Amino acid sequence: MLKIENLHVRVAGKEILKGLSLEANAGEVHAIMGPNGAGKSTLGHVLAGREGYEVTQGTVEYNGRNLLELEPEERAAEGVFLAFQYPVEIPGVNNTYFLRAALNAQRKYRGEGELDSMQFLKRVREKLAVLHLKDELLHRAVNEGFSGGEKKRNEIFQMAVLEPKLAILDETDSGLDIDAMKLVADGVNAMRDPARAFLVITHYQRLLDYIVPDVVHVLADGRIVESGDATLAHKLEEHGYAWIAERKLAGAA
Amino acid sequence: MNSALLDEFGRGDAREREESWRYSKAALRALSQQDFVAANAQAVLPASLRERYTWPHTQGRRLVFVNGAFSPEHSDISQVAANVALRHEADNKLVLSISADAENSLLHLVYTNVATDSPSRWQSVSDIHVHNGRAVLIEQHLGDVGADVLGALTSQIRVDAQADLQMTTLSDLPESVSLVRRAQVSVDHAATYRTTHAILGSRLQRFDLGVELIGTQARFDSRGVFSLRGRAHADTHLDIRHVARDTACDIVWRGVADQRARGVFHGAITVAAGADGVDAKLSNKNLLLSAQAEIDTQPVLEIYADEVKAAHGATVGQLDERALFYLRSRGIPLADAKRLLLTAFCDAVFDQLPLAALREHISALLAPRMPEGASA
Repeated sequence: MLKIENLHVRVAGKEILKGLSLEANAGEVHAIMGPNGAGKSTLGHVLAGREGYEVTQGTVEYNGRNLLELEPEERAAEGVFLAFQYPVEIPGVNNTYFLRAALNAQRKYRGEGELDSMQFLKRVREKLAVLHLKDELLHRAVNEGFSGGEKKRNEIFQMAVLEPKLAILDETDSGLDIDAMKLVADGVNAMRDPARAFLVITHYQRLLDYIVPDVVHVLADGRIVESGDATLAHKLEEHGYAWIAERKLAGAA
Repeated sequence: MNSALLDEFGRGDAREREESWRYSKAALRALSQQDFVAANAQAVLPASLRERYTWPHTQGRRLVFVNGAFSPEHSDISQVAANVALRHEADNKLVLSISADAENSLLHLVYTNVATDSPSRWQSVSDIHVHNGRAVLIEQHLGDVGADVLGALTSQIRVDAQADLQMTTLSDLPESVSLVRRAQVSVDHAATYRTTHAILGSRLQRFDLGVELIGTQARFDSRGVFSLRGRAHADTHLDIRHVARDTACDIVWRGVADQRARGVFHGAITVAAGADGVDAKLSNKNLLLSAQAEIDTQPVLEIYADEVKAAHGATVGQLDERALFYLRSRGIPLADAKRLLLTAFCDAVFDQLPLAALREHISALLAPRMPEGASA
């Protein structure tokens, strides 16, 4: 589904990704771990199409298409979803209105019929229940006045409503207490599907106790330096990221 | 600047006039260099303009002016309550006297700019006096495309003790029309003057609103938006004077300028010596959507009293790139995402407008006028 090859990305003149390669198939959950500043969030943003991220080298293929040539809204309609590390507050734009506009814009792009408000609300209520989100959040402006936990759960709720094919979770666990993290994990696990892939970007292994990944990658200094199964996350937790750096040095020598 | 129009429209001495028109000098000079004939008060009102003011909820309460002159033919005042006295005097002067105990003292004043063969100008005067009770006025300015028209409306408004005047002005003009509005308002003890303004288009729109809070506990609330594109130029000056103690004002204005448009907002609050207990708030936020557009905002606070609560702030910024990306990342196309953010930005000002029909009308008026932002 997703094939990233030798990706080099520059942000504000500084090279952040330095030859990242990664392949993820439908039905798989890939965890991307790494120290601060390794380029984890850059990867999420570049896949979602944020401006200011200059791809200097490499390719990203998504379902056989060149993902990098698509506008952010086209990527979304093609099934790419980014759960933001810092969800944006948008005063004056109603949460329900926003989500319905988004869903219908995606459906229109794909040549599907738009949902009327009854159909839409039915879908929304089903998903709200899974995440234990209050109905009242729907009537508020997008993320405005939401607590940190509510914002993150709202991201997962949007993901549930939009039903993407490739979901990228950018440090969705950061700032969450253990209960909120379990809710988020439940939301993600409920969506695991043979037709859907996940990239779960995280700094800590904790989230991966609840969302058990098929593959764990370690991202350091702009590249994937190590990949393995779920046990790799535990080794990292035990030894710290310094262990990876040492192994890299040993390998180089 | 040596300009006949500056002498005509400016206030105060030469230096004051110069200062108050500093951002609109060039636009006014260009108008001064043009020859205008007296506008035709008998001009035929095109159906396209009539449609724009024929709202069901103001039926029977509508006064229509053609190039400044009252038009009995197009007006319909069959439902105007007995407690509203209106009179038309020579020189396009309207005198309104409202003692409205009833809730239904709604009036819709429509000023139409109808182009003729050559550039033309008109003047009109209104004198509005609310004695008591609650009055609702809607003042609408519109025009069709054609030869230039320059209109000037001078209003004198008095809101007596305990009375409440709620006034909405909608000014949606093509770039061939210029409009200079000057309103001087006095608000007496425990009276309230509430205004809502939407300013769209025009070659030059100058709006001077002077409000004097002359009685204790008098209150002035103002909400306004200007949304400009093309070469539109709008210059708004609010001048609030707290003369009596325990008076309050709350002013929230927003502006959007796209393409080569120019927006000016000047909000001055003066608290006179001895006017203690004043609570004054002014906020003005603006969005620039193009590198060629310009917005100048100037909040001014002058306080001569000792015990005063005052807050003011003004900003000029651009659409929030993060919000734009967030919306797009969910599948909303760029143009729609921009419109969504702009509409939210402007609508916030109208949240408290009590007449739902009017609120919807303003929203509908603003929505298609929201700049495409293609040049951002």
